Amino acid sequence: MRGSRWWFWLLFFCLVSLFLSAAYLWAAEPSLAEAGKEAMKAAGAKGSSIPWWLWPVILFGFTFIIGVIAPLSGVGGGVLFVPLSTAFFPFSVDFIRGAGLIMALTSALSSTPQFIRKGLANIRIMAPLVCVSMITSVIGGIVGLWITNAYPSGKYYITIALGLVLLVIFIVMLTSKRVEFPEVKEQDGFSKALGLSGSWYEPTLGKVIEYKITRLPIGMFFFALVGFIAGMFGLGAGWANVPVLNLIMGAPIKVAVATSMTIITINDAAAAWIYLSKGAVLPLIVVPSVLGISIGARLGAKLAVKAKPAFVKILVMGIMLLAAALNIVKGLKGLHVI
Amino acid sequence: MPEKDQVYVDPANLVFAKAMEVVTYIGIAVMIIFGLLYLVGISSFVDIKAAIAHWHLPVKEFWEEVAGIHIQGYSWFLKNLSKMDCLSMLGICILSLAPLASLVAAWPKAGAQHKIMYLLFLILILEFVFAILKPIILPGVGGH
Repeated sequence: MRGSRWWFWLLFFCLVSLFLSAAYLWAAEPSLAEAGKEAMKAAGAKGSSIPWWLWPVILFGFTFIIGVIAPLSGVGGGVLFVPLSTAFFPFSVDFIRGAGLIMALTSALSSTPQFIRKGLANIRIMAPLVCVSMITSVIGGIVGLWITNAYPSGKYYITIALGLVLLVIFIVMLTSKRVEFPEVKEQDGFSKALGLSGSWYEPTLGKVIEYKITRLPIGMFFFALVGFIAGMFGLGAGWANVPVLNLIMGAPIKVAVATSMTIITINDAAAAWIYLSKGAVLPLIVVPSVLGISIGARLGAKLAVKAKPAFVKILVMGIMLLAAALNIVKGLKGLHVI
Repeated sequence: MPEKDQVYVDPANLVFAKAMEVVTYIGIAVMIIFGLLYLVGISSFVDIKAAIAHWHLPVKEFWEEVAGIHIQGYSWFLKNLSKMDCLSMLGICILSLAPLASLVAAWPKAGAQHKIMYLLFLILILEFVFAILKPIILPGVGGH
């Protein structure tokens, strides 16, 4: 039994690695991405042998895989969906971003209730962090408009800087010894006053684990910063939640991943109204995508509860590395360096 | 395994989870049922073939080509709720309202242990309402 489980996780990890590598290659290699996109556009063109209904079927299968991965790693799914869809599918990037956001929202909404009932996600941790990040996101949106007009290439430098920050976080997580279960000796006064602690049953250890959150003011500062940058450039920032919760605030990796999904429900739902008001959400693309990700996310949330914390750590780090590479490549491409 | 029962989840978290689950189910059901009816060709605002022919265009050009309209705000689908694709959009709106509904439902229990949580939840609810109104009152501002 133990042997078969070991093989299952190995196979699953290989599939995820393959998926992430493909995402990186397609996004990092413009000629390959363009060639693929042209081929897909040609296939989707009038008179092609591919019937129109095949696009929703392909989208369903594609988003199902993303749905399984997202709750295991604490990202909404946009970080995987947007670059891959831009490379493979014939839709405009506006509709891809709209669909990516609704997909990320649905994956977070589908997995969060399960995480909360297991004790892994906690709205008391989410509340102060989202309070500040939503305000700074609006301020970032206003400043972003000004910067785009006054200094058009500025956003590419910030994108590269973000990628480098993610690389540093990746190295810190790689070298840190207590990412799975950080040791919090003493809580700060604010975390204590809000009662930021909890417990969950860890099936891989067969016992209840208790945890405490600390350094809430520093965590709030970083969430404010992430919200500002996300608002400034219209980025999804799910990838930034987990390292702040885990490395700075002392949340165990599984609690950080689950609470990140709860934060994503609020942030993405708030952002969805912008896309709805601009008509960037097409049911033809969104419906099969949401169907795929909802089914995948339910499976992903069940796997996340049972998964070994070390496995979750590796997956989070894989996503971190992918997001870092994509940001750096995107920035360098914007500056015409590559 | 008796240890599983030792995990305490406070009532505010449980109410939040329940409300989120119910509203998400409703949103997904409305979006998918009417989305599938749209895909089989029943009464649509945007013709499927026209959408496929133009879905490579930026959003502004897409709407000019397929419907001859400039989109801003929510009236474009709220005024056409007899069309299946617009009803499917209503499902997406319900999904986007799920966190707000969960916050409102959990608010009365949120401050039971720590009173400051009442204030934090109130701020979150107000921020969320602002996010819904933002595309109408601050149409050029992005944010995520």
